[in-house]
Amino acid sequence: MKFFENVFTYDYSFPAVSLAYFLRYPNPYSRHVLTTDVIDRYVDPATQRLHTTRLHLKKSKVPSGILKLLPKGIGGSDNSGQSYILETTIVDAKEGWMQTESRNMEWTGILSVVEKQFYQRQPLEGALDTLEGLSLDDRRSEQTTVRTTVTFRSRFGQGKLLGRKKAEPSSDHTGDYEEEAPKRGFFSSLSTAGIQRTIELIGLNRARDAVLKSKQGMNVVLERLRSGGIVGVLEGMRQDREAVYGPEGGPWKRVWLTGNGHASIEDDDH
Amino acid sequence: MSASIAPECNDIKEKYDTCFLKWYSEKYLRGNTTSNECEELFTKYKTCLNLALKEKGIENMLDDARKSLKDSEAGKS
Repeated sequence: MKFFENVFTYDYSFPAVSLAYFLRYPNPYSRHVLTTDVIDRYVDPATQRLHTTRLHLKKSKVPSGILKLLPKGIGGSDNSGQSYILETTIVDAKEGWMQTESRNMEWTGILSVVEKQFYQRQPLEGALDTLEGLSLDDRRSEQTTVRTTVTFRSRFGQGKLLGRKKAEPSSDHTGDYEEEAPKRGFFSSLSTAGIQRTIELIGLNRARDAVLKSKQGMNVVLERLRSGGIVGVLEGMRQDREAVYGPEGGPWKRVWLTGNGHASIEDDDH
Repeated sequence: MSASIAPECNDIKEKYDTCFLKWYSEKYLRGNTTSNECEELFTKYKTCLNLALKEKGIENMLDDARKSLKDSEAGKS
């Protein structure tokens, strides 16, 4: 298992940062994010916390470095170039924190990536103890800290991925890798562990870039929020799309125009 | 606004998202956590979305992911 950790401070209030989180796609740094849907959302009546589950579809490829390590037929077969990410968030507006968790839903046997973030309001001295909604102008000095932890775990070579038979019926618990290893001999167990470590490292290297990009994206959204409110963010999104695909749209046109109710290229409306 | 995975749901998603943003920034963040004025739109959006997820075969994958999520949450506390 490998870990990546990063702490960053936004020069924006907690309400603004949490809103930007929900509003962060699309932005100029998120062109790989194709769609976002809310699967579930509710306020826990006991805690007043807002729970949200979202499904993102992102453009992604299994890195070629990882593909090389996989037996033929595994990894190369799926050329959709897209992958699903499940994201859960919990917001506590009273206490001024938000925790998020994102994980990949496919290829988890090869590499499971779990990103956790903890956003926390940094109250200033003398500031009021309660949140007062979206204070975008009068609290410019307020800050929000976010701690990001990404965990990489490859189970490559363990169990069904390679079509290896489940050993003895007795080893039906998850720790069977350690027990099986000595039987397979020192070198083969070393290479499995080595491949797992390599896969985790490739994931780790990609994550550094991804975490930086998502920070940049959040900052763009926050800046738009500060200068133009929610309307400003929505206008920025429209401009991002035009910058990529031109005013005529492109691949986005169908979904966006249909979504906006302006026009419909596909005539499948009921 | 971000697009839905199901283009046919974009219209209702847009309406729901707009409602949510307004509620979140004007009510929830100001401490009014009980109102649920977007519930009706969310139900409509979910109905549309769930149909599409079923058609695309994403539903099962989603159930599995939710289960492992619950397991990890249970392990936390």
